[in-house]
Amino acid sequence: MLNHNKLIVSHAPFWHNGSSISVRSYHTMIAALPAVLIGIFQYGPRALGVVSLSISLAIIWELAINKVTRRTVSIGDGNAALIGLLFAMLLPATSPWWLVATGTFVAVVIGKHIYGGIGGNPFNPVLIGFAILMVAWRDFFDFNEVLVNYDLGFAMVYPLAAAKHLGTAGIESFSTAGLLLGQQTGGIGSNFGLGLILGGMYLIARGFIRWEISLSFLAGVFITALLFHINNSELYAGPFFHLFTGYTLIGAFFLAPEDSSSPVNFIPMLIFGVGAGIMTVLIRNIGSFVDGVPFAILLMNLVNPICDKIRPKALGKVG
Amino acid sequence: MTPQKELKLAYSLAVALLIVGVLSFAAFPAKTPDEPIRIMYKSVAGKVLFDHKTHRADSGYSLACEDCHHHFEFEGSSGIDGEEPVVQACAVCHPFKPKEQAYPESCMECHDEEDLDEDVEVTKRTDAFHDQCEGCHQETEIGPVEERCNWCHVM
Repeated sequence: MLNHNKLIVSHAPFWHNGSSISVRSYHTMIAALPAVLIGIFQYGPRALGVVSLSISLAIIWELAINKVTRRTVSIGDGNAALIGLLFAMLLPATSPWWLVATGTFVAVVIGKHIYGGIGGNPFNPVLIGFAILMVAWRDFFDFNEVLVNYDLGFAMVYPLAAAKHLGTAGIESFSTAGLLLGQQTGGIGSNFGLGLILGGMYLIARGFIRWEISLSFLAGVFITALLFHINNSELYAGPFFHLFTGYTLIGAFFLAPEDSSSPVNFIPMLIFGVGAGIMTVLIRNIGSFVDGVPFAILLMNLVNPICDKIRPKALGKVG
Repeated sequence: MTPQKELKLAYSLAVALLIVGVLSFAAFPAKTPDEPIRIMYKSVAGKVLFDHKTHRADSGYSLACEDCHHHFEFEGSSGIDGEEPVVQACAVCHPFKPKEQAYPESCMECHDEEDLDEDVEVTKRTDAFHDQCEGCHQETEIGPVEERCNWCHVM
């Protein structure tokens, strides 16, 4: 009984287990790939151009800020490339090059490096870039307007805009299966629900993101949308519609669980996720923006330090 | 992966994707199709998304060009050869705001100045759209029939 060892810690030198930020970044990019590829397939070479330029410029901005601030070149960790990819996934395929350049600059430099680089950012850098651009050039993010020249064989109306302005009568042409299979307009990499769910499950299985945040976010969206729908089913769309449209799924699996802007303990993670989910539907149903995911997550990023105060007491701590 | 290999990968990604990105933007500029699919009209009352394809398609309202483009003409009328129809966008003739000049310059492409009655103003764009859209929908009783702003001004 006395010989039962629970924990053995050997002395140095230690052997590295192979995990690194770059592995995490590139695996997250791989997880996002199915959704991105479907987006490129749907919208053609312009979408490929936006995605390529966004990844490339995010890396270049990071390299530039490394040089300007005379810090170690950090582009090897793949985080800048990941920021570029996720940013492109939110953009419409018709985005002009300068929008991509400005957005990646804001995301990498203002969203991340101003706070000291990876791990120091209080907000999700991708969403900082996206939110600033969306407020500055709102028309470029009106999917109904920017995608007028595309005809992909399904209802080419942005589902959330139709729901907001016409109520449930305006979304009759959308089926849950169709939405999951990417039969909806939107950002390049945010339409193919099935791909995003598969990517998210891979990230959860590998331990790259915390399931608590993703699932509580989805639960928050589902329950709030359900309550609105029960209250007035003509005016407010049902919970499944809200789950599979707009940025909900990319938000749940790729944006909300970002490391440094989300909590680390169980209860705070649930509060963070549910809060972002509730805010998403509130903004969508009674706010002025068509989609609420970016601002809801940014708002919860702001609350994150307070959430982190809820933590177990240190062992042996008195008072 | 060693830090050197990680750096090499990042540099390679940046260069390769920059080339792909620039080529994609240069080789595939945003093009407007000859016949519009949808048109977004902007107005102070809210944007109007007009589905041109649905109005034209057999599976939709199956309208002919001249049903709406009332100055629809064929061959030779504007110096364009062949049988290609000459369709002008509504905004070419219908001004957004009435100006001192009674007729837009485009009127003179077909009419002589003396043919035109100086007292007659070209219908303002807003009135032209409202007359045409509402009139047709109410007459056929298809689509947005009721006079509710948010049937069309929704965005």
